[in-house]
Amino acid sequence: MSDPRRWVTQSVVKLENVTQCFRVIQERPDSLRELFAKFFRHQVSYHDFNAIRDLSLEVPCGQMLGIIGRNGSGKSTLLKIIAGVYKPTAGQVRVEGTLAPLIELGAGFHHELTGRENILLNGLLMGYSKQDMKAREQSIIEFAEIGEFIDAPIKQYSSGMQTRLAFAVATEVDPDILIVDEILAVGDESFQQKCFARIEKFRSAGKTILFVTHNMNQVTEHCDRVILLERGSMIADGQPQEVVSSYKHLTVPDLTPA
Amino acid sequence: MPSPDSELSILYELIRSSFRYRELIWALALKELKLRYKRSVLGFLWALLNPALMMAVLTLVFSTILRFGIPHYAIFLLSVLLPWTFFSQSLSYAVDCVVGNGELIKKVSVPKLVFPVAAVVSNIINLLLSFVPMALLVLAMRHPFYGTWLYLPVPILALVLFTLGMTCLFATANVFYRDVSHILQVVLSAWFYFTPIIYALDFVPPRLQWLFKLNPIIYVINGFRLAIYWGQLPRWQSIAASFICGVSALFIGCAIFQRYQDKFVFYV
Repeated sequence: MSDPRRWVTQSVVKLENVTQCFRVIQERPDSLRELFAKFFRHQVSYHDFNAIRDLSLEVPCGQMLGIIGRNGSGKSTLLKIIAGVYKPTAGQVRVEGTLAPLIELGAGFHHELTGRENILLNGLLMGYSKQDMKAREQSIIEFAEIGEFIDAPIKQYSSGMQTRLAFAVATEVDPDILIVDEILAVGDESFQQKCFARIEKFRSAGKTILFVTHNMNQVTEHCDRVILLERGSMIADGQPQEVVSSYKHLTVPDLTPA
Repeated sequence: MPSPDSELSILYELIRSSFRYRELIWALALKELKLRYKRSVLGFLWALLNPALMMAVLTLVFSTILRFGIPHYAIFLLSVLLPWTFFSQSLSYAVDCVVGNGELIKKVSVPKLVFPVAAVVSNIINLLLSFVPMALLVLAMRHPFYGTWLYLPVPILALVLFTLGMTCLFATANVFYRDVSHILQVVLSAWFYFTPIIYALDFVPPRLQWLFKLNPIIYVINGFRLAIYWGQLPRWQSIAASFICGVSALFIGCAIFQRYQDKFVFYV
């Protein structure tokens, strides 16, 4: 079977004037009764909240882009828009190439299934074929250092094992674009190094990487370019050192009592 | 590509994503079955035992205690009870298929139609298995084993289309109002008694029959009783009616599902 993904030579992410609006309903009516009750008393109150405001971004092929910002600045929302989980309220999103989202690792894992079954299911969820996954199964198991536990249900795994397995599945499938959301905080030192070694390998292979973290050392060490988000807008875009220092300015007032 | 709202594009989209994600759908369906029979000693055998035991109970009740004067009443009943059970189980199980996979939908971009399709597929496996004890019962009761059994794939197809459509409809509604899954149980039990399953349509007073004929599912399950119990093939009008019901339900369900699927992520 010919793989259409193989024909994509240039992977690129392009966002034009993207806005993601969430309707925050105070005490959202979860049942009809509440809805009727509130509707007749005119109490369905909500406000619209823009998690991402009019953001335009272009990531050329092969770049490792760091995305930083304070909590609630819209980093994860941005990644989810790129990953196709959210359909933005306004604006255009274009993603070329296959994408491996490492957003909250192990999202597709089912705790009652074994590691081996989860490898397959997770791969299928990312759009790969059964054949693809069977071919890569052994190297996934080796990278994740799961050993004989692979045929045990993953509810018996430690959280570290689950993370390792998820990282191994997401990166073994050879995506064009890798999205990494703060996942490397888990796992011990040696596995973190192994992950970064793999990310570096992706980089040298010319893959595009979007990287969210709160660890500024990782940002300056690995990224080619960094953007800084604040309240859903991009307020800085450039060299890692510069952007990291403006981030530090942003966070300083938080530390000193007003 | 046809325009997004045209009737063809809705069904085209369903077929396209079902085909493209067939491996995922199959894996999800197997996962469901695995989880359903997990930790039970007999495991997958329950898929066979369950309808068999149900049949044993019904046969006992209706051949000794309640007598309707219908020969081989158990077969009369079960020939449509099996498709009805498929329909009601698929629906009560799949009404939660979007909400239940909420964690997944929030994190991975996946065509959401795979969830109702997989839910129905896992129940198709159960339906097919339940025909094994059905056949055994026919033999055991010395009811004629008609050649019209071969016709069964046709009503099964119409039934699956109808069920899938209703599943999409209820699963969508349940995302926005969780009451739907509770209402569904009431709807299903009322629907059961207003459908000629434990009785025949002839039992209904003639002046009320038109009312019963508004019920779309009677056309869908009609073929099962004809083929298994009466050994007849339905008239072409009846076959056409079953497919009109099936395809319309599928179309309406899918259209609504696809219209709202981009919003699911905010409500699960």
